[in-house]
Amino acid sequence: MMENLILECKGLKKSYGKKEVLRDINLTLESGKIYGLIGRNGAGKTTLLSVLTAQNPATDGEITINGEKVWENEKALNNFCFSREIMAGTQNAIASMKGKDYLKAASIYFPYWDEEMAEELIKEFELDVKKPMVKLSKGMLSMITIIIALASKAPFTILDEPVAGLDVFMRKKFYQLLLDEYTKTGRTFLISTHIIEEAADVLEEVIILHDGKILLKENTQELIQRSFRVSGLESEVKKAVKGLETCSPERTGRGMGITVMLKEGETIDDTCDVTIQPVSLSDIFVALCNEKEGTYEK
Amino acid sequence: MNELLNQEKSIYLQIAEMIETDILRGILLEEERVPSTNELAKMYTINPATAAKGVNILVESGILYKKRGIGMFVAEGAKEKIKSERKENFKENYILAMVREAKGLGLRKKDIVSMIESVMED
Repeated sequence: MMENLILECKGLKKSYGKKEVLRDINLTLESGKIYGLIGRNGAGKTTLLSVLTAQNPATDGEITINGEKVWENEKALNNFCFSREIMAGTQNAIASMKGKDYLKAASIYFPYWDEEMAEELIKEFELDVKKPMVKLSKGMLSMITIIIALASKAPFTILDEPVAGLDVFMRKKFYQLLLDEYTKTGRTFLISTHIIEEAADVLEEVIILHDGKILLKENTQELIQRSFRVSGLESEVKKAVKGLETCSPERTGRGMGITVMLKEGETIDDTCDVTIQPVSLSDIFVALCNEKEGTYEK
Repeated sequence: MNELLNQEKSIYLQIAEMIETDILRGILLEEERVPSTNELAKMYTINPATAAKGVNILVESGILYKKRGIGMFVAEGAKEKIKSERKENFKENYILAMVREAKGLGLRKKDIVSMIESVMED
């Protein structure tokens, strides 16, 4: 098992010029878990991941690992691997590089690099690493980021959109490889993704980032278990969910549907004539992030 | 253990139910080893903590037992235990939902009873 590590950020802010991308982020990540980071396009996910791993300076706030500041701290940074999404088209320095040279650079950069694992994964993915990066498809570039993340053997490994461009077989393969590595080593993983449903069951905890703020950080299964969709005649629905935390009400004629998130000990009044349905993580995400400020009904 | 997970209920409950169903169907026999938490995690692509939660439900109810260092096994008498538990939950899981729907449709008790009699022998 790995050494116990706690990654913590307090009052984290990041602005690009006048644009505030991250506003007052407080987050504690413990080692030995698989975390998921979800958020809409532009929510600040990549910025958060790059600031957390000190690849990008924070405008304000503090990031520590076991109490030690992370910024320009080589010892602390050795714990991290932030495997970024590669965009060979725009990042010209990378475009002409061959896949194997890119991986070679990673092998020098990461202190715990496992070359044998990297080679096995190249075979497993049937990846042609002699090709220049610019010739690789989106999915193949994702495979390279996955290889780097897994072979880095970093105690704290962060993957930004690792399944982008991968087909459904490869996405499943990725989660299996991830679980295989996780069950063997107990490394900590933080993964951002837009394909929420496929990741939901793998993630022990989910972090929802919305508009530069953390909306929620919770055990995924517990969150799903306490969330429901209630629908029926508007007056009945309102009676059934009275006093409960609700969001994203939708009305169609006399009908209404609403998402409810129960707190401990709360129940939906099921003597009302309503339909109560379980919801998925992506339903919860949409319900929480879809609406504009002010429609959140408590 | 070839069933598919769905979104109708918690994953750990589904894992527990799938193992139970496999015991009922004789896919898993009493005193036989069941897949470990890590094996279940990889089999279903789920977090090992979730798989463990499902397995622990069955350990707590005495359907599975742990042999230290070896793994998890189906307890003797597990099949009967599952059957009697499912019988106990039958009213909650099936009858109440049926009665609710029936009431909404204005069906009466004798209508339901005669429907049951028409599809079920003694």
